Amino acid sequence: MSLQADQDRNGDAKVATLELPAIVLKSTQFRRAREAGWLELEGLVETVEKRGMRTLTPDQLQQLPLLYRSTLSSLSVARAIALDRHLLLYLENLALRAFLAVYSPPARFLESAGKFLRTDFPTAVRSARWHFLIACAALAVGLLVGFWLVAGDEAWFTTLVPSALTDGRGPGSTRASLLEGEIFAPWPGIAVSLGIVANFLFSHNTIVGILTFSFGLAAGIPTIMLLAYQGLTLGAFIALHYNRQLTVDFLGWIAIHGVTEIGAVLLCGAAGLVLADKILFPDRYSRVDSLAMHGRRAAEIAVGAVLMFFVAAILEGVFRQLVASTPWRFTIGALTGIGWLVYFTWPVLARVRASRRPAVRPDLGVGIASTSVT
Amino acid sequence: MNASTTAIDFATQFLRRNRRAERQIITPEGVPLAVELADYGERASAFLIDLTIWLIATIAVLLLLVLTPFHAGGTILVALLLFTAFVVRNLYFIHFELSWYGATPGKRLVGIRVIDRRGGPLLPSAVIARNLTREVEIFIPLGVLISASAAARSGAWEYLMLGAWLACFAGLVFFNRDRMRAGDLIAGTIVIAMPRQRLLGDLVETSARFTFTDRQLQAYGTLELQVLEELLRRPDAPETPTLLRDVCDRICRKIDYKESVPDTEIVIFLRDFYTAQRGYLEREQLFGRRRADKHQTVERRK
Repeated sequence: MSLQADQDRNGDAKVATLELPAIVLKSTQFRRAREAGWLELEGLVETVEKRGMRTLTPDQLQQLPLLYRSTLSSLSVARAIALDRHLLLYLENLALRAFLAVYSPPARFLESAGKFLRTDFPTAVRSARWHFLIACAALAVGLLVGFWLVAGDEAWFTTLVPSALTDGRGPGSTRASLLEGEIFAPWPGIAVSLGIVANFLFSHNTIVGILTFSFGLAAGIPTIMLLAYQGLTLGAFIALHYNRQLTVDFLGWIAIHGVTEIGAVLLCGAAGLVLADKILFPDRYSRVDSLAMHGRRAAEIAVGAVLMFFVAAILEGVFRQLVASTPWRFTIGALTGIGWLVYFTWPVLARVRASRRPAVRPDLGVGIASTSVT
Repeated sequence: MNASTTAIDFATQFLRRNRRAERQIITPEGVPLAVELADYGERASAFLIDLTIWLIATIAVLLLLVLTPFHAGGTILVALLLFTAFVVRNLYFIHFELSWYGATPGKRLVGIRVIDRRGGPLLPSAVIARNLTREVEIFIPLGVLISASAAARSGAWEYLMLGAWLACFAGLVFFNRDRMRAGDLIAGTIVIAMPRQRLLGDLVETSARFTFTDRQLQAYGTLELQVLEELLRRPDAPETPTLLRDVCDRICRKIDYKESVPDTEIVIFLRDFYTAQRGYLEREQLFGRRRADKHQTVERRK
């Protein structure tokens, strides 16, 4: 600092003030040296935010992480030496925007969908096999109770099954009306079939499925209840047909789409139970963190189940009334069942065949950075 | 958290009355970054914009379907409507949150976006999770409301129970610190506001007309410096001259500045004072003598 120069410039001003020439402010020098880099980064980040990463030239793409890192270090230095509040806020904002641009590359919809179907969904389902078994148990209990109640006294049927689902069936139905109106009813044509598909899918199945999944957040109790209730309804229907010696034909009628549909219901239940599991038993994490780490896996199962409802609805709308023979219905049902089984366990089967373990564990989506909440 | 950051927080708190809720994420490089949670209002307006777009898109798709030669009856049309609405809204939200850095058009207009709570990348499964749950939080309750007439026919208590559950679910966003929907909870995401800061010029003067002694510069700390900075950066308003005059007089009194400052030179005086004060405080800070505000006494070695 040149004391001499200060006094010269200020002439008759007071003596001995060291801070006069503002040029020596370290923070100002610091800013001047790095400003260009920040502005360049800001331009890049803005392009990325507006038009996406793909519009950057290879040169710019190479620059982005470098500029990001140097801005981050600028921020650290500025926090230590500068008291310019605006500068600090600017750097913090820029660093955050650049951080998000660099570290969260946008995913392409179709690519993610493909990866989801190929690996994510089956992996997620395999990892939730115990939850799936619990869901099966809940459904089975409901089914047995429903069957037992209705087989003994058909008055239970109207109590258990909401009128929207009965479609005219009930204690008053005869064997003949069930055979002609339901099991071997004529195919009503593509338009009505598709109507049934969409209607049944979205007024009932999907909603129940998503509810079953989401209510896992309430410690899983509503999930179990919903599953048991589904079992109850199914059991009631089976009992109704059992009392009219139609069990086998009815099961065939159900099997053609039911394997897929009930599978999807069970998967939704399993996903809900994963949520409940991670809330109730968070291991060494906090409940919220534990949920965040496994919730996505559960959601993957639920989304896959929604897609399965689609498949089930198409099977139901198109094939169920077209295929009017019970053995063929069982065959199709069994084929879909085997198909799903292979789909979900394919890597395991392949591994058993090749008898070697995969080197890479599935990514559970745990974030790359730690968190601290102020 | 070091002293200067705290001083910034104080100044921010002091200057912006409704200080936003801040959370911190830590980058893989180890630098903590503050993020501001989005307001309920911002999120609601973003959602309303998206809802409008969704409605328009659904109607457009439906019109296309109806105008095709393939004719269908009333119930089928309703079913088709529900189906289209479901597909369009899910594709819309998931597609945009995936490819637009966690922002739907509504969110982008409002200036908010979804990020991973822990600072990691926003994974597709997280986007799917938070949007699938939206069905339960908003669209199914809407459906229940619409079919309230049906409730009268088939067991009202069922609908009441369902309504209660759904209300708990939808109200979740108001009952946690991080303003997370149920979907955010499952996906491990938060919604943050992204105000865009521009780089303004440095207030530091290159040459000083007014000069101050070290003793005078010891009167204030970082907080006061940053409040003064905010004042100087404030755009001109009718009350600005009187405000500046007032501040100038207070400073003169506090630091015992003997000469009077003429009206025309107030801004110059304040900027000079800012420059000198910042230079002084920054230098002291380099020597490890941070001073958060004027009430803090700093140990000085002779």
